Amino acid sequence: MAVIGPNGAGKSTLLKSVIGILRVTSGHVLLGTDDVTNHPPEELARRGVGYVPQVQDIFEPLTVLENLEMGGYLLPPARVRTRIDEVTQVFPALTSMLKRRADKLSGGERKMLAIARVLVLDPRVLILDEPTANLSPKLADNLLQEQVRRLAEMGKAVLLVEQRARAAMQVASWTSVLVSGTTRLEGSPGELLGRPDFEELFLGAGTGLKPSSGSEEEER
Amino acid sequence: MDLYIAAFGFGLVSLSVIAIAAVGFTMQFGITNVINLAYSSVMISSVYVAYAFNHAGVSIWLALIAGAIFGAVFSFLLNRVLYTPFQRKGTSLLGMVIVSLATSLMIQNVLLAIAGPYNVSYVQPSGGTIRLGAIVLTVVQVLVIGIAVVLMLAIHALLTFTRLGKAMRATAANPTLARNCGIPTSRVIDVVWLITGALCGIAGVVAGMNSDTFAVGNGPGYLITIIAAAVLGGAGQPYGAMLGAVLIGEMTELSAAAISADYKEVVAFAVLVLVMVLRPQGLLAKRGALAAAG
Repeated sequence: MAVIGPNGAGKSTLLKSVIGILRVTSGHVLLGTDDVTNHPPEELARRGVGYVPQVQDIFEPLTVLENLEMGGYLLPPARVRTRIDEVTQVFPALTSMLKRRADKLSGGERKMLAIARVLVLDPRVLILDEPTANLSPKLADNLLQEQVRRLAEMGKAVLLVEQRARAAMQVASWTSVLVSGTTRLEGSPGELLGRPDFEELFLGAGTGLKPSSGSEEEER
Repeated sequence: MDLYIAAFGFGLVSLSVIAIAAVGFTMQFGITNVINLAYSSVMISSVYVAYAFNHAGVSIWLALIAGAIFGAVFSFLLNRVLYTPFQRKGTSLLGMVIVSLATSLMIQNVLLAIAGPYNVSYVQPSGGTIRLGAIVLTVVQVLVIGIAVVLMLAIHALLTFTRLGKAMRATAANPTLARNCGIPTSRVIDVVWLITGALCGIAGVVAGMNSDTFAVGNGPGYLITIIAAAVLGGAGQPYGAMLGAVLIGEMTELSAAAISADYKEVVAFAVLVLVMVLRPQGLLAKRGALAAAG
């Protein structure tokens, strides 16, 4: 599922509320049939919710391997190594950089580590807050089209917040359009893009949603 | 020349005491984000707890353990009862400094009322001296150096090789992300206060063992030296505190030999000021045990 919307729409605030970082004052957060409203982040991690924030998404002073170990903190120690091996098979580029300090990674490598760290715990639900922010158009496309799609194929429910709206809709099976803190529209990407008034409803003005092959750079 | 070599030997003892204290102080700041100015008051309180045991006939080494346990429990309670509630209310870093300063004054004055202003000393076996060239140290001083080396290696091993130590570093680096990983950061911080409190207690007692006499009024003096070592190495960096302790410990003793014992702290702190001008973040701000190992 993709949540899209303009700057200041409240997308990151929504995710922080879902993940227990911000306090929810109205409404409920459901995980399956369980009400997890205002549950602390560590409790949600135990329940299988993985979260990759937009910024400060890795432990910079730790090595890549130590970041992955922290991702598996809730697992029995003997299982962590196995899970790291499995995750590095999904992201083989990480294998050669396990001993490197995380703050030495490039933007793309860093985001790959952030997602891999979350995957070590083998979460049921993966929440990604603008994973393509600060990435080059090529890397952003690769992340959304290949890595996020792969996560969904692994059976994970992925909640994706993105500013690259069209690119996000290309990988999502359901999209919600958030404007000024409220859901303006929701539906399958096909339905939404088929609406003649979609662009107008999205922002009320210019949206950056002109037809394109997907990347934000091209959309602009 | 022999004078300088002998001073270097005394510097080894001083730096050992400073290193134990400064590593605990800097870890408290690095991981829990509290500049705990009450650290020296906990330290001097531990000195007197050990003194009470020692004068009740307990060996100084068992009294050292009692001082460490007292320091650990006192620091843990200080954080749980006082600092954490203030932090939860959103008190700023500067506000927390004021809270810890007020706490320090209260502890010192209560201790002064209980123990009095007198100079006292531990009952400890002289144990003879050990001579290595021009370096002459008592057995107790050599053991103090040994304790410091063991503790520094233990802290290094904790932070580098254990799950708990890595969780401490993760909590220091990004507490919100640590919680998202399922790390129980409150419990990790509790353990940090216990460990650093024990270091504080041990540092106090070995400082007392290394002095002919001590008094409640020694507390503020400890704090200045500890902060100097921690800041010199890079605030929040345990390896930085170790390096800062080496520099401050040796400079104070070598300058005493070169100029006069009266000026030894002046020289040490002049170097601190110089380092701060040239490298304000401290010597090891980008590295250390809170950073990646290796």
